[in-house]
Amino acid sequence: MAAVQSSPSSPTQSRTKKGPLVTEPPKFDIESYVQNYKGRTRYERLLLIGTSSSFLGVEALKAAVVEAKAGKDTRRYVEACNHLQAVAPQEPEAVRDQAWVDTVGKQNLAETARLEAELKGYKNNLIKESIRMGNEDLGKHYQAIGDLPKAFEAFSRMRQDVSIPKHIVDVSMHLIEVAIEQRNWISVVSNVQKIRGIQSVVEDDKSIQQYIAAADGLANMDMGNYHTAALHFLSTEAGMGSSCNSIISPNDVAIYGGLCALASMERSDLHKRVLENSNFRTYLELEPHIRRAITFFVNSRYSACLSILEAYRADYLLDIHLQDHVDELYYMVRSKSIVQYFIPFSCVTLDSLNAAFAAPGKTIDKELGQMIARKELIARIDTQNRLLTSVPSAARSTLQATALKTAREYEREARRRIQHMNIVGAELDIRAGKNPGALDELLDGGILGSSQRAKAGGYQ
Amino acid sequence: MDDLLPKLLAFPPHPPPQTPLSDFQYDEGIRNQISTVGKIPEKNLLPQTSGGENALDVINPAINTVPYIYILLAHINAAQKGNKGVNWDTLWAKIANFLETFDGRQIRYLGKEFTQIIETAVTLARSNNQSILAIGPIRTALLRLDPSGSILTSTHLHLVELALEARDYETVLPVIDKFIYHFPGATNQPRPKFLCELGLSPTAYITPESKLTAKLNHQDVLEYFMYSGMVYIGLRKWESALECLENAITYPAKDVSKIMVEAYKKWILVGLLLEGKPLNLPKSTSSSVAKSYHVVAKPYETVAQIFETGTASRLKAEVEAGQKIWQGDCNMGLMLSVLSAYQKFQIRNLADIYSKISIPEVNNLTMSAETGGKLQSPALAEQLVQSMISEGSLNATLSHPPNGPAILTFGLGAPIMTEDQMQKELQASKQRIQFLTQEIKTTDRLLTYDKEYVKYMQKLKKNAKNGVTDQGISGPDMDWNPIEDEDIMAGVF
Repeated sequence: MAAVQSSPSSPTQSRTKKGPLVTEPPKFDIESYVQNYKGRTRYERLLLIGTSSSFLGVEALKAAVVEAKAGKDTRRYVEACNHLQAVAPQEPEAVRDQAWVDTVGKQNLAETARLEAELKGYKNNLIKESIRMGNEDLGKHYQAIGDLPKAFEAFSRMRQDVSIPKHIVDVSMHLIEVAIEQRNWISVVSNVQKIRGIQSVVEDDKSIQQYIAAADGLANMDMGNYHTAALHFLSTEAGMGSSCNSIISPNDVAIYGGLCALASMERSDLHKRVLENSNFRTYLELEPHIRRAITFFVNSRYSACLSILEAYRADYLLDIHLQDHVDELYYMVRSKSIVQYFIPFSCVTLDSLNAAFAAPGKTIDKELGQMIARKELIARIDTQNRLLTSVPSAARSTLQATALKTAREYEREARRRIQHMNIVGAELDIRAGKNPGALDELLDGGILGSSQRAKAGGYQ
Repeated sequence: MDDLLPKLLAFPPHPPPQTPLSDFQYDEGIRNQISTVGKIPEKNLLPQTSGGENALDVINPAINTVPYIYILLAHINAAQKGNKGVNWDTLWAKIANFLETFDGRQIRYLGKEFTQIIETAVTLARSNNQSILAIGPIRTALLRLDPSGSILTSTHLHLVELALEARDYETVLPVIDKFIYHFPGATNQPRPKFLCELGLSPTAYITPESKLTAKLNHQDVLEYFMYSGMVYIGLRKWESALECLENAITYPAKDVSKIMVEAYKKWILVGLLLEGKPLNLPKSTSSSVAKSYHVVAKPYETVAQIFETGTASRLKAEVEAGQKIWQGDCNMGLMLSVLSAYQKFQIRNLADIYSKISIPEVNNLTMSAETGGKLQSPALAEQLVQSMISEGSLNATLSHPPNGPAILTFGLGAPIMTEDQMQKELQASKQRIQFLTQEIKTTDRLLTYDKEYVKYMQKLKKNAKNGVTDQGISGPDMDWNPIEDEDIMAGVF
């Protein structure tokens, strides 16, 4: 758990490492954006925007300070204040309210002690249900004051006293929420599996299906499994509303699902699974530009698709989950577009590719070269006639070459194994323990003996 | 001398009898002759014949190997004692001639004498700083002794050492091209009935007991692999070099030997020269040894990494920084080859991306690791490309349009073989594998003679009697299967 905590558990830490600075104005409004969420994720998102965007920075940080002060997590408050002080020291919110920090700190301690004591009492009475609820309260408290590892522990302890399936779902949902904040995707996935295991609950309750589909999608996206992530987002039942807004909003489902699908699926799949998917359509309606982008891609109008995506890059760079993946996803969409564009041709002029994909005044020669080097594009460039030509496949000679290679490898391996058996048979193998210091001697640099060295030197 | 001659030439019968001697007769005959000739005092073997000829000129070593070798040894001993009647120069000619013509069947009985002659040839050549002269005769002798060349002898070791000293690599190729399957001193060898049996496997007569080879230890074997690898390196035959070095680095071992580490270092560099990237260790490398390799040969692995993904200037800097290491390991020459190969690989990789490209562009896209920068002029780049095309390492053509720079057109992938070539290759491969299968069967059979295996089988039998069922490997007739064999050997390692 400590390891998870030390890795970027809070967005600040990850930002100090890389943190893209977004200078373009995003298309959304902070107020309405944050309205989509509830709980601790609101602050996280505000802080991320505050520290990444040069346009909304101050506004977002101010909102973050207010948000933090409304909660019980003093560490967050101090953090937001510090950031705001750095950017806009003259703002009234930038002055730290030390008195508040102290009081809340004390209150938190007292509350912790109270809840611990209560839990102890329940344990003594051996009432399962009370112990479970005691743990839940304690977990919620720890979560609220920002002590995530302890919150995780407390919620995990609830599991010992579950009595009905609903409880298991509760435990897992708490854990998922904490784990998402900790960015501990492995435990998100494992808890999702646990909920999935309880068939009856998932089938009955649509909101749980939405919750786990979204959580699974998030986890997979953050781990870079875009295709799996897309499938999860696409399977989300319609009508999420605000039921999952402590982790994700319906708009996010549309954006994440759409982008992941765009980056990882073939055209026919996109058409069938995304555009014709009645559940997902309701989400796409919230973000019409994503639907437009996908439609353009399906209709082979790649440059239109790319330009839509490009227009929203700033927005996505300010999204807490998408930030690290925007470049990768965009790159995948782009290279897929180029590959798709090239498929029907055996030969394309570089100029037409430039017209379709390159920014004005730039060329994509270099990018094409990289794509070919990565084996994403099976083609070769003719710089003299400025052409991109496809590579004809020679199945027969490839097969023959492979056959010969396999035979050679078998030969080598078999010969060597015979040799080894005969070495051992002649008792010539090097046994252990004869010369325990051998490696140290090697490290000291005295490799071959001096006479052998002289001989070896003869070659030089 | 004259009266001795009939005795000396008593065997093999001359002219050869109508029906060839049976193995039994041959064996008896040659043993008798050896004991007779062996009893003749050396000084009686030295004098000339009545015709004033030297006995060595009269006797044909190809037919009468036994008397010849004794007379030759007598002369050598006399020469070493400083006997005036013997001239080293003529003697050398005799030794060389003998090594190239002796009878492969008779020599099996003359292990001690054979080894003595080889030793003499080696020391004689070395002491005159003429190592190169001994290489040819010894090589031929080895091939006459064992045409299959599949067993390692102490003479092999002498041979590669001489080759490295004299820097004469080509001559030894016929010997080191042969893959070593067997090693003297195998404990599980069945005893042959007669040494003279014609179809006898070399492992039966080349043994420390027959004195045709000395007993080897693991350093000797490793040195042989390493040195033959170095011979190939000298010839720039990277693929063969790689295989020899692989023999050394996969050597069955619990503890790593220094020679193995040295081989590993060279193996990394040769792998770079052959494939342009760090290779994976062969599957049969023992894991504990692999760990030591990674620790000890770190600088080399770093170079390999940079060669694959880094820039020319980084490669150059890395190689310069480690200069002391390479020099200390005697790998500086290889390292320089690696540096000069860098740009060639870059150019070869361009073929995957470009179908046609002008020479100035090639010059812009690739860097020389020797200078850490671009070549000074497109003309130099053109020269390099030309040399690569002519040595066959680049499948491309160069054309000079009337206006503008030279243009390089890459061919598609590897040169495509014609159907005929392909058929031949496949046929050859099939034959080699069939031969291997034969070897595998022999090895498998020999394994059943192994003490450990016999013990194991006994235990199984006992268990079966006591009602414990056989788990895992079944009876002695099992088919060869690498995995199962590995299991058997696991206990022995």
